[in-house]
Amino acid sequence: MSQSRLEVFLARIYVDQTAREKFLADPRAEATRAGLAPHEIEDVVNIDRDGLELFAYSLEHKRAHKYGRKKNHHS
Amino acid sequence: MNADRFGLGWRPRLAAGILANLDRIDIVEVIADDYFRASRHERRPLRTLAAQTPVTLHGVSLGLASAVPVETKRLDDMARLCGEVTPEFWSEHLAFVRGGGIEIGHLAAPPRTDATIEGALANLARAKQIVGVAPQVENVATLIDPPASDRDEAAWLSAIIRNSESKLLLDLHNLYANSLNFHFNSKEFIERVPREGIETIHLAGGKWIGRDGAQRLLDDHLHDVPDPVYELLEEVAARAPQPLTVILERDGNFPSIESLLDQLDRARQAVRRGRERLTPAPGVAA
Repeated sequence: MSQSRLEVFLARIYVDQTAREKFLADPRAEATRAGLAPHEIEDVVNIDRDGLELFAYSLEHKRAHKYGRKKNHHS
Repeated sequence: MNADRFGLGWRPRLAAGILANLDRIDIVEVIADDYFRASRHERRPLRTLAAQTPVTLHGVSLGLASAVPVETKRLDDMARLCGEVTPEFWSEHLAFVRGGGIEIGHLAAPPRTDATIEGALANLARAKQIVGVAPQVENVATLIDPPASDRDEAAWLSAIIRNSESKLLLDLHNLYANSLNFHFNSKEFIERVPREGIETIHLAGGKWIGRDGAQRLLDDHLHDVPDPVYELLEEVAARAPQPLTVILERDGNFPSIESLLDQLDRARQAVRRGRERLTPAPGVAA
């Protein structure tokens, strides 16, 4: 069950800029508030911040282009 | 051994070029999700294409690598399309794409844990039950080192391949990008995943993004296949004796069809070089 909470938490900080900024300002508090397990809290406190910012940027970039062309999230 | 196949991802902008060059294209990969909401009439060109040339269906939104079960409706959509098109096989990514009603809008690498392995195995079993055939599963590129992981990608991926009926669609540009972004050896990765499980290869290109000192390679499908990816293809062909299906993906910034066909020819050459080096698996007589 905690794993699905972790997926929800990650989805939110990947997509929602406000949630991401709150998380980056106080990762432990936000992870605790999300109900993550203790070991998950430790893991997200040490999140790959550069990667988080770049992934969030790439998602915003995709959304910005969404109306201009067909989906470009094939991989 | 001459059963390796080389093909292109179907995109509307490439349609004319693909149809005019089917003598140089062995197989076409179609994005399944583009047709889920289409009417039967709108799907007719896809059925016509499948009658002309081998077609595979590639999904991008199931979210198989999740602790949460894939919605039945999404699998029903795939089952209906597979029933209509009768592809040679279908494939999906080992990614999670949503959580708690939030659509990520892209393929996210899940935490690499027992929980996501178990979730993926359960989702793959349901996918086979509903669609009738297990999907091939693809490794994804990621810009972020998946949080809360307790093992590396090769170990995580191998556990899923070894414990499911799914074969591996090995995306070599995803592997290449991850190896550069997270500093591991891509050739060692190829040695660690089950060689007998590899059936399909994806090739693509990408670009570097990010500030100086923190750049990462983005798998954007908007650039040509870089040389190291052909080298990885040769490595796979040297290790996996079974027939391989190699698909070149291009989603935009389209070059001429001739340029794409040239890249397919380079892929053929890489596989040929690998086949010349092919050595039997340990314990298998030559």
